Amino acid sequence: MIISSFLEELAKIEEQLSKQANSSRDDLEKMFLSSNGLFTLISKQITELDPNDRKTAGRSLNQLKTAIEAALAASTSTNAKDKRWIDLTMPGEQPTVGHIHPISQAMAEITGIFERVGFTRVRYPEVDWDWYAFESLNMSPSHPARDEWETFFVDQKADLEKGQVVLTPHTSNGQVREMERLGEPQIRMINIARCYRRQQDVTHTQMFHQFEGLVVDKGINIQHLKGTLDYFAEQFYGPGTKNRIRPFHFQFTEPSFEVDFSCHICSGTGEITKDGRVEKCRFCKSGWHEVGGCGMVHPNVLKAGGIDPDVYTGFAFGWGIERTYTLKKGLEIDDIRLLYSGDFKFLEQF
Amino acid sequence: MNILIPNSWLLEHLETDATPKQLQDFLSLSGPSVERINEHNGEPVFDIEVTTNRVDSMSIRGIAREAAAILPQFGIPAELKPLNLPDVSKTNNPLPLPKILENDYLNHRTICVILSSVNRAETPKWMADRLEQIEMNVHDAVIDITNYITHELGYPCHAFDYDKLVATGNEIRIVEAEAGETFTTLDGESFTTVGGEVVFKNGEGTIIDLPSIKGTKNTSIDESTKNVLLLMESIDANKVRFASMTHAIRTTAAQLMEKNVDPNLASDVMKMGVKLYQELCQAKVASEVYDHFPNQAASSTIDITSKKLAEYLGFELPLNDSVKMLEKLECQTSIAGDILTVTPPSFRPDLVIPADIIEEVARLYGYHNIPSILMPTAIPLNRPAETNFGLEHQAKEFLSAIGWQEVYTYSMVSESEALESGFNIEDHLKISNPLTEDKVYLRRSLIPSLEAVISHNADRGSVSVFELANTYQPQDQSLPEEMLTLAMISTRDYRTVRGDLESLLTKLHIYHCVITPLDTNDQIGIIQVGDSAEEIGQIAVGNKHVHVQLKMAALVKLSSSHPTYKALLKTAALIEDLTFTLQEKTKVGSLLAALSQADPMIESVNLKTIYNRNFTFTIIYRHPDQPISSEMVAPVRKQLVTLVESDWQGHLVGELSN
Repeated sequence: MIISSFLEELAKIEEQLSKQANSSRDDLEKMFLSSNGLFTLISKQITELDPNDRKTAGRSLNQLKTAIEAALAASTSTNAKDKRWIDLTMPGEQPTVGHIHPISQAMAEITGIFERVGFTRVRYPEVDWDWYAFESLNMSPSHPARDEWETFFVDQKADLEKGQVVLTPHTSNGQVREMERLGEPQIRMINIARCYRRQQDVTHTQMFHQFEGLVVDKGINIQHLKGTLDYFAEQFYGPGTKNRIRPFHFQFTEPSFEVDFSCHICSGTGEITKDGRVEKCRFCKSGWHEVGGCGMVHPNVLKAGGIDPDVYTGFAFGWGIERTYTLKKGLEIDDIRLLYSGDFKFLEQF
Repeated sequence: MNILIPNSWLLEHLETDATPKQLQDFLSLSGPSVERINEHNGEPVFDIEVTTNRVDSMSIRGIAREAAAILPQFGIPAELKPLNLPDVSKTNNPLPLPKILENDYLNHRTICVILSSVNRAETPKWMADRLEQIEMNVHDAVIDITNYITHELGYPCHAFDYDKLVATGNEIRIVEAEAGETFTTLDGESFTTVGGEVVFKNGEGTIIDLPSIKGTKNTSIDESTKNVLLLMESIDANKVRFASMTHAIRTTAAQLMEKNVDPNLASDVMKMGVKLYQELCQAKVASEVYDHFPNQAASSTIDITSKKLAEYLGFELPLNDSVKMLEKLECQTSIAGDILTVTPPSFRPDLVIPADIIEEVARLYGYHNIPSILMPTAIPLNRPAETNFGLEHQAKEFLSAIGWQEVYTYSMVSESEALESGFNIEDHLKISNPLTEDKVYLRRSLIPSLEAVISHNADRGSVSVFELANTYQPQDQSLPEEMLTLAMISTRDYRTVRGDLESLLTKLHIYHCVITPLDTNDQIGIIQVGDSAEEIGQIAVGNKHVHVQLKMAALVKLSSSHPTYKALLKTAALIEDLTFTLQEKTKVGSLLAALSQADPMIESVNLKTIYNRNFTFTIIYRHPDQPISSEMVAPVRKQLVTLVESDWQGHLVGELSN
């Protein structure tokens, strides 16, 4: 036998193989690999070749065998007589997977919600000058309003102009920094960062996260602030979430508002029925959860950022991620310190 | 600040038929937030949060005034009842008033009167009940009257034992304390001044009061008190705040005064005090009213246009509508053309700029009545170049998908954790007022925190965790450099961790990770990629765990959202395994690099298995233009074997066929 006819023969077998895409494993085995199968028969013919051609023939035979094996692997075992039993009740073997931290999950969700309506996410210092954290936000060093931001100070010499170095107690330090970055509006900023305050209990940790929205442009008014809050509430908590804004006070916004969402535990009624008795809901304040503050940017803050308050107006909001996230229906985390415990029993649930 | 307001007490100042629930709902929507309604002695007591700028609402009267302005906006009639307080009648048997050395810089008003023959009567039940409802202790009438008035009208007042003043010269000097002076408050606690606190001193120089904060024992009411000096002052707000914060004496009086409570209120407070002392303690007025009130602030006016109002509201509101609302808040108004001029009452120092007036109008109009729409303005496109939040999240998602757990740990660490980072303690930023001893320094490395997480989960066996967070590198006279770092730490072996690192980098389209040992123990390696000399991070093999630290900024710079496409080669490859026996401490990574570069026909060389000192490599040969044959590969293969033998002192397992 000469090598060319051998190779021709092989090509024919390969062609036949290519037509057997729907054949069962048994049929394929019978057709190619049984004692009188096509592959078995041709491979015996190698001895009839010139020794110099056997290497080439062997390589081609190998390629054919690989193709037959691939076809076998892809085939289904449809012959009922030899169907192997599989225990479908056996547990699966799961790969080892990690988990993205719930705070990261919340951040990604919040970022996505705001990016869809044109906000740009930014990052500003977590350790910043007093000027950005307070003074440019209309809070002079002795202002009593500062009490509410129980601030950590860094043991470092104060700057003559920008004051002391603080661990940012809120993400609002990003407001004037964003105005400086852009030079002039339009601004639609979402700033998410670690924040720090001197407090620690089941609802407070020394370190936490906030997300800060800032919108500045011509013609921005309270309606746009309300629109943005309603949009966020619907997206984050689901359709039908009730929210309201109430008068509040912040030095860096005027008017200022507190934002409430309806309590999912008591359905906004402020009362729950337990053992047949009606009790006050202990998770909320009369049916509402305070989520955070917001307001129209104070003219002094715009000025501090080099923006003319007679031409531009804006609104800002800053809320805790932990607080906002833990109000998700059905989540029921009752101690936010768990978020920073590094405990796998907790983290693996997310 | 929260204040408790019993419903019946409120209704003494407010004429309305509103139910407690209506009061709660409508006040909360347009004014101070009524957080809860508590039942106390069978009566509703409102728990109300008053914002710090609205010290005028920190009283029964103040809340009544708000309710009178808000309820009509919801269709419920309401009026603030007039305060009917009699003038203080003159006395026939006067006692001498103290000689008061005023300081108009430190104190803006002093008003006082002497009440004699004060009967130490019990606090009447109606007053005791109310004090209990607002969670104040009940003593006797002489003491409780002052607390009661403060709560009702929102201005602090103090009753001195007049005879104790007389005993030391009947003199009050309003001065700043020197450092190191001592005083004892009426509840017996002693303090030493730091200097600068505003105090009352007598003629002998002894401190006899910490005005607007707390009385002192040496002039306070006690069981022998017969005559009372009822005194209201108006100490500078900053000074009160300084002394109150310095000595941590956070009384209601201090909290009112440090927020610039209106000194004009003091007259009504005095009249109310005299009335109650007369009624409850049968006291007699024993002096003229002393009233030193220089530099009364002239009323300021604020102009606002309907255009400005519309700028905030998003719609036109007739100025006349605003006028009706503002007058309910006791503002005076006038309209000239398109300009509304507003003169706020003296108790509203928070009303200064047009936006303040807009807030008053908007809240009374009702925020719930304002429409809600998203901005129709242009979307800004100027994004910061140095951040890539998508990439950060992509890295997190990838790591978690291949078995790494993300954690968040505190940015502040203890001294021992700070030292574990390998930096000297003085090379860390320190918090000057830490809350707890375990969080004092701003960390320079995430590794000690992640090690703590591993220890915390010691029962888990194999643990791999990562965190993306800042480290803080101090910089002279500047803010610290905040270096966003992706730190990974695992109990698994070096090759597994390195494999995960390499696949992470590849996922981010950062190719050709090279790790070069840094120190003589080969325990720390510098991570570089491609031909770049830039260090993107480090990998270290600790005693038990493998640590990786990557600079996020470098990843952002080197990564790509997509690869550069390479044309798919149509020619077949030849794949074979070669096994070499290698010397101890052979740097297999370097060997791999050398083998990969030995010939253009070598597409890749990968380490497949290790058995003792035998290392099996999978080699893929391919020619870009023609099918590869054994004849073509043979010399290349030989070249590889020679290379290993000559440069690496290894040898092939088995023999080459020809």
